[in-house]
Amino acid sequence: MNETLIPAPTRASVSMTRWRRMYYLVPIVALVIPFLANEYLLWVVNAILVYVLVTIGFNLIIGNLGQLAFANTAFFGIGSYTTAILMVYLGVPYVIAIVGSALAGGLAGFLASVTALRGIRLYYLAIITLAFGELMRWVYLHGDKVTMGSDGLLLPPAFFFGLPLDSEVPKFYVFLALTVVVVKATSNLMRSRVGRAIVAVRDNEAATASLGIHTARYIVLAFVWSGSVVGIAGAMFAVLTERILPEAFGLTEVIIHFGMVLVGGTGSIVGSVLGAIALTALPEYFRQFPGMDELFFGIIIVLILLFLPKGLVSLLCRISPVFNERYYRD
Amino acid sequence: MEPLLRLQGISVNFAGLRALDNVTFDAHAGEVRAVIGPNGAGKTTLFNAISGYVPASGGAIHFKGEPIHGLAPHDISVKGVRRTFQNGGLFPEMTTLENILAGLHVNIESSIFGIVFGSKEAREAEREGIARARRLLDLMDLGATADQPAKDLSGGQQRMVEIVRTLATDPPLLLLDEPVVGLSPPMRDRMMEIIRRLAGEEGIGIMLIEHVIDLVMSGSDIIVVLNSGQLIAEGRPEEVRQNREVLEAYLGHV
Repeated sequence: MNETLIPAPTRASVSMTRWRRMYYLVPIVALVIPFLANEYLLWVVNAILVYVLVTIGFNLIIGNLGQLAFANTAFFGIGSYTTAILMVYLGVPYVIAIVGSALAGGLAGFLASVTALRGIRLYYLAIITLAFGELMRWVYLHGDKVTMGSDGLLLPPAFFFGLPLDSEVPKFYVFLALTVVVVKATSNLMRSRVGRAIVAVRDNEAATASLGIHTARYIVLAFVWSGSVVGIAGAMFAVLTERILPEAFGLTEVIIHFGMVLVGGTGSIVGSVLGAIALTALPEYFRQFPGMDELFFGIIIVLILLFLPKGLVSLLCRISPVFNERYYRD
Repeated sequence: MEPLLRLQGISVNFAGLRALDNVTFDAHAGEVRAVIGPNGAGKTTLFNAISGYVPASGGAIHFKGEPIHGLAPHDISVKGVRRTFQNGGLFPEMTTLENILAGLHVNIESSIFGIVFGSKEAREAEREGIARARRLLDLMDLGATADQPAKDLSGGQQRMVEIVRTLATDPPLLLLDEPVVGLSPPMRDRMMEIIRRLAGEEGIGIMLIEHVIDLVMSGSDIIVVLNSGQLIAEGRPEEVRQNREVLEAYLGHV
């Protein structure tokens, strides 16, 4: 077929590209948050940054790859404990510990992908990966010579290239930088042939192979990337809480992660960010109504999913198609 | 002339059922070859065996002289045998353009590292892919549907997009599983005309499964007739039309 004529970009495609650049403003505007928020609010913002990565990693498996794999809390716990163990026992600098957590999370992702590759799908994959998460919690509890079990593993003071992470302000800037880098890299990946291959596997695996796409390779890649992203979130979580406890990675945590994906919108990076913000900030807000807070939290999730089944991101898509990640115009 | 595809004694067993029994024939470039037969004759199984979706229990398949039996579906596709699916193989949530881009996957040359770090080469490869996908859609008058999710297209448009997607990498051989099913008569004729042009002008070898006998008779060069997994006739439309065994298979004993 003839190769000469490359269509000039349409007016719509030019403005779409320009609008997408607005995303870069979000972290720049966020830089002022420490000047406006007190220490407690900043702690909540830092938790949001952790959960943005947790949700983006999980959404890649649930939304993009379309697999009911719930190993996310396992990736999160493995990331947290890797950073803690490397820092406590080996005196490794935090920067290197983050890399270690990404690698450990990626390895756990690879292990989780083996079940999917063996043709275990749907409910079977769900229960196996949930069991994997519980098994890891058992390991954290009973490996107490290393993990200190239910007493929790206390983190030594952390430094990021010499910057002491001894209050919420420096943690915020480091977490923001990590989040921006990981979100951009994940977005690049999803908006490429790799991201399309992952979604193609979800939509029709047999047809995907007929296009010359090695489906198994992309299933493994999605799990490894997801595990690494959530592993990095775990490394951030370790420094945020300063004490790692096995309870933080139980079944309730699975429900919260799953809720963030669904409330934000499956298969959408913007949705992941919104879901993480909503379901991290709301429970903190409801704390002022002790005894009722969990009820409010539950009601909010039910209402959002009833009236916005495609998540909070669908609200934004109504305003502008820029938020719809289907657009491949640039 | 060396055949594009050579099947030698292909058999497929499903738990004791012989779905294909010792099927042998050659297919050539630039030829439209229809595979017909009653329901359960083994037509789709034949396509599945050629494209690697079911393992052949016996026999050999050569494509351009190279053995392809035993290869995985994606490897067979990369070698140049591309197919469509009876129930439609589009990715429903992706747009038309993304579907074509997925079809171009193996032609978009970018490394994972380049993609993740947003390298100039990766972005350039993606841009070229998008430009090529748009050209392919425009050639088939599907340009206006580029940003629509595939599930929102009409049945006819979906069949067309699926064929454009298989064509994206210029494959020498296409296997089309019921390409006109569910289309209106004018759309059917248009589809057959496109298929004839692809064979005649681009020299692509095309095998298609079809139930509409009129279209098969007017649109194909060679007809292969399967019945209960066996090849009972092979020849030009006018020859097959006269074949007693074929008439029996379709109409019962006469």
